[in-house]
Amino acid sequence: MTLQLAKPRFLLCGAIVYLVSVAMCNAQTDTDFDKATTEFRAGNYGAAAALFARAESSSPGKTAALLYKAKSLVHLQNFTEAEAALRRYILSHPDSDDALYLLGFVLHRENHPAESLEIYTKAAAIKTPTGDDLKIVGLNYVLLGDYPDATKWLETAVRVDPQNKDAWYFLGRAYYTRSVLPEARRAFAKVLEFDPHNSKAENSLGLILESEARPEEAMEAYRKSIAWQEQDSRPSEQPYLNLGNLLIQENRMEEAIPLLEEAVQLAPGDGTCHLKLGAAYLRTDRMKEAQRELEEATRLAPENAAAHFQLGRLYKQIHSLDRAKEEFNRVEEIQSRAANTRPQTQ
Amino acid sequence: MRGNRPVDSDPHSYNICLLATVCCLSFCWPSLAVPQERSAPVTPAAGSSEAFVDVTSRLGINFQYRSSHTSRKYLLETMGAGVALFDYDNDGRLDIFLVNGAPLGDPTPKWTIPQKTGPEYWNRLYHQEPDGTFEDVTARAGLQGVGYGMGVAVGDYDNDGFEDLYVTAYGGNRLYHNNGNGTFTDVTLTAGVAGSGWSTAAAWIDLDGDGFLDLVVLRYLDWDFDDLWCGEHKEGYRAYCHPDHFKPIAPLVYHNNKNGTFTEIGEKAGLSKPAKGLGLAIADYDRDGHIDFFVANDSMMEFLYHNKGDGTFEDVALVSEAAVDIDGRTYAGMGVDFADYNNDGWPDLVVTDLANQRYALYLNNGDGSFNYVSPNAGLAQMTLAHSGWGIRFLDYDNDGWKDLLIAQGHDLDTIELNFPHLHYREPMLLARNTGHGFADVSAQSGSVFAQAWVARGLAIGDLDDDGRIDAVVTTNDGPVHVLHNQMQTQNHWLLLKLIGHRSNRDAIGAEVELVTAAGSQFATVSTASSYLSASDKRVHFGLGKEGVASRIEIRWPSGIRQTVKDVAADQILQIDEPAGASSSRKP
Repeated sequence: MTLQLAKPRFLLCGAIVYLVSVAMCNAQTDTDFDKATTEFRAGNYGAAAALFARAESSSPGKTAALLYKAKSLVHLQNFTEAEAALRRYILSHPDSDDALYLLGFVLHRENHPAESLEIYTKAAAIKTPTGDDLKIVGLNYVLLGDYPDATKWLETAVRVDPQNKDAWYFLGRAYYTRSVLPEARRAFAKVLEFDPHNSKAENSLGLILESEARPEEAMEAYRKSIAWQEQDSRPSEQPYLNLGNLLIQENRMEEAIPLLEEAVQLAPGDGTCHLKLGAAYLRTDRMKEAQRELEEATRLAPENAAAHFQLGRLYKQIHSLDRAKEEFNRVEEIQSRAANTRPQTQ
Repeated sequence: MRGNRPVDSDPHSYNICLLATVCCLSFCWPSLAVPQERSAPVTPAAGSSEAFVDVTSRLGINFQYRSSHTSRKYLLETMGAGVALFDYDNDGRLDIFLVNGAPLGDPTPKWTIPQKTGPEYWNRLYHQEPDGTFEDVTARAGLQGVGYGMGVAVGDYDNDGFEDLYVTAYGGNRLYHNNGNGTFTDVTLTAGVAGSGWSTAAAWIDLDGDGFLDLVVLRYLDWDFDDLWCGEHKEGYRAYCHPDHFKPIAPLVYHNNKNGTFTEIGEKAGLSKPAKGLGLAIADYDRDGHIDFFVANDSMMEFLYHNKGDGTFEDVALVSEAAVDIDGRTYAGMGVDFADYNNDGWPDLVVTDLANQRYALYLNNGDGSFNYVSPNAGLAQMTLAHSGWGIRFLDYDNDGWKDLLIAQGHDLDTIELNFPHLHYREPMLLARNTGHGFADVSAQSGSVFAQAWVARGLAIGDLDDDGRIDAVVTTNDGPVHVLHNQMQTQNHWLLLKLIGHRSNRDAIGAEVELVTAAGSQFATVSTASSYLSASDKRVHFGLGKEGVASRIEIRWPSGIRQTVKDVAADQILQIDEPAGASSSRKP
C-alpha cells in the first residue's frame, strides 16, 4: 500500500471567504473580481477561475486575482494551471506566504517533492508553518522515499497541531513502512481517539497485527474497518483486500473470494486486487475467472512478478505451455533484476 | 503406519544394537565389525515423557560458538555456523565436528579476511568414546581451522573408506583429508578447492555418476566489511542489513578429478547462476536416475537444479513451482531438506525462512512439479511467527512418518524493538507428521522446547545407536546443544549403512525404498541438507509396529539395483553395493 496524498484541507472555506471579504472591503470595484468572488464563495470554482483570470487581464498585478484563480484551480484539481498562476503571482508578490505555501502544496500534488520542499522552506522563512503545512512537508519526504525525514516532519506536524488526525494517520503509515510498529500503533490509536470509527486507521492496525503474526486479531481489525466504512460514499478496497489476502493465507478460500470480488469492484484499476482474486479462483479451480483476473492483473501491473507467476501456473494447468513458459520467463526477468538491484541504506 | 505409542519396557538404558552385516551372496566386500556393547552415559528421568533432552554437559562437550558481535552489525555475525555428525575413525560411533568463527575488529577494514587467533575460535572435533561421552581431539586431528567458519560437508571424496571434511568460511574454504589414523591433512591448495568470497552450505554429490564425489559450494552474497548502516539511526537500533542490499554470487562447483584434485566447472555444468545460497539438499526428485539438488536462497527465488544426465544442470524451480511461495513471493530461504514425508515415493521439499513468511513445504506431485502445501499441511499456521534455520525431516518416534525438527531464532537481534511479538531467541520446533499433515508437539516433547536459543545449524544422527534419531544444534554466539532422543516407544526401526563400490563409497545419492506390511517408505542417502550442517549418512527408518521389512530396494548411484528381503527390525544393517547389474537376496 502506498500513502495517499492529503487533500488541500488547509484551504478552509472560512479562511478563504474571510480573505475574499477583506479584498472586497479594500474597495475592489472591478466587476469581474466581484463576480469571481461570488462564484468562489458559492463553490463554482470553474466559473470563479475564469472570472479571476479576466479580472487579472483587465488589471494586471493590481488585485489578488491570480492567487484566487490558483485557489479555484486547486479546488478543481487542475494543478498545472494553478502552478502557473501562482508563479506569476509570486513574481509580483515574492513575500506572499499564502502564495508560497499554496505553491508548495501544488508542487507536492504534482509529484515534485524536491521543488515543493524548496518552496516550503521559502514560505517558512516568512511565516511559521501550520500543522497541515508540516504534514505536506512530511509527505514530500515520503514521496522521496526518505522515511526517517518524513517521520521527523510528521512528528513535528502533530506536535504543532496535536489534533491533526490526518497528520497522525500519515505518521502512523510512515512508522509502519519503517517497521516501527509500536510507534505506528500509537499514531493510529491517536487517530481513533479523535475519530473512533476511522476505517483507514483500523485497517492500518490490522496490517500491524498481521506483521506481528497475529492473524486472528488482524482479521478482526479488517472486519471492523469494513463495517466502519459502510456508510462512506467512497469506501476503500484496502480492508477487503487485506482481509481476503489473509483468509487466502489461512486457506479459507470460500470466505476470501467474496471479499476480493468486492475489492475489485471498488478498485477495478488496482492490479493487486485482480491478482489476489485471480489467485483465489485458481486455488478453487475456477479457471476461466482466474484467467480473466490474472490477465487483467498482469496488464495493470506488468512488473508484478507474482501476477506473472500465478498466470504461468494457470496456463500450465490449462496446458497452454508456451504461454506458461512466457510468463515464467517474465517472472525470472523481474526477479533477477530485483536481486541485482541494491536498495539505498538509511 | 502411525500406531500407538507404548511405553518402552526399559527406557532407562540404551538398546543393545544388533549390527547385522550383510554380504552379498555371490561375492563379499569387506564388512564392518560388530561394534561393542556400550554403557549408557545418558539416562532419562524415570517416567520422563520428554522426546528430546539436552545432554550436552553430561557428554563432556563445552563448545561455544563465537560470532564476534560488533557495533557495525556485519551480517556475518548473525548467520551462525554448522555442525557435522560423522564417524571419522570408523569405530562405529558418531563423532561431532563444530565450526567456529573468528575475531572481528570494530570496525573491520574492507578486504579483511578474519583469522582465528586462539583456541576459543577453533573449530572442534569431538570423538565419541565407547561409553558415549566425547573427547575433544581437535588438536590431535589437526582440525583447528583458520578463518571465520560457516558450514561443513562430509564425504569420502577419495573412496578410501574414511570420511573427509570440507569446511566453508568467509574468505576461503578448507578441505581436510582424513588420513585414517585420527588425523587430517589440509589439502586445500593441492586439491584446488579454496574458493573465495562468502561460502556457506556445501554438499558432496556425484554430479556425473563417475563414482567419485564432486563438491557443490554455495556462496551467500557479494559482500565485504563495508560500514553500511541499516535500521534506524537511533542508539541500539542499528540492524543487520537485509540481503537485498547485496548482489548475489555464483556458487562454486568442483568436479573430482579422481586424483586428489578438483576442477571448477560451475559454468560448464550450468550451475553458475548467481544465488544467495544458504541451504542445499539433494534428491532425484523426478526419479529419472540422476541426482538433483535444491538451493535455498535468501530473499530471491529458490533454485531446483535438474540433472540433465549429461553432466549439466538446469534450474527448473519456477516451472516446477518450487521457486516461490504459493502467492508468487520470494522468501528468506535458509535451511532445506528434501525427503518423502508422505510416503508416496517422491521426495518433497521443506524450506525454512523468516517470521511472517511461513516455512515452505512443497509436495512433489510426481510429474516434475511441486505443490506448495504449507497451509494445507498445517505448517503455515504453525510457523507464521517463527524464523527457522536448520531443518530436517526425521522420524523421531519411529512410527513410519517423517516428522520435522527445526532450529529457530530471528536473524535480527533488534527485532523485538519494533516487532515485540517476534523473537531473536526462540525455542526449537518439533512438528509431528500425523500422516495427514503436521502438528506442533513441541510443548509436549520436553523442556528443551521451552528454552529460547539463537539456533542456527542442525544435524541429525543416531548418536547412541539405539534406533532413535538424536540431534545436535548450534547457536549463534552460544553453546552447542546435543539433544538426546529418548522418546518412549516400542516402535521398530532400521538403520541402514550403505557402502558403495562402483558408486561413491558413501553411497550418497542412493535411493532406498523400504516396504513393510504397513506400506513403503523412501529415502535418499545424503550427508547434506539442513543449514550449514552435515548429518549421519546412515538411512533411518521407523517401522511402527512392523517387526520386519519385507523388502528393501536400493538404487545405487551407479544404477545398480539391489533388493534385500525379510529384514528384521531394530538393527543397524550394512549393505554393500553388489558388483552386478542387479541383486536380490535375503540378509
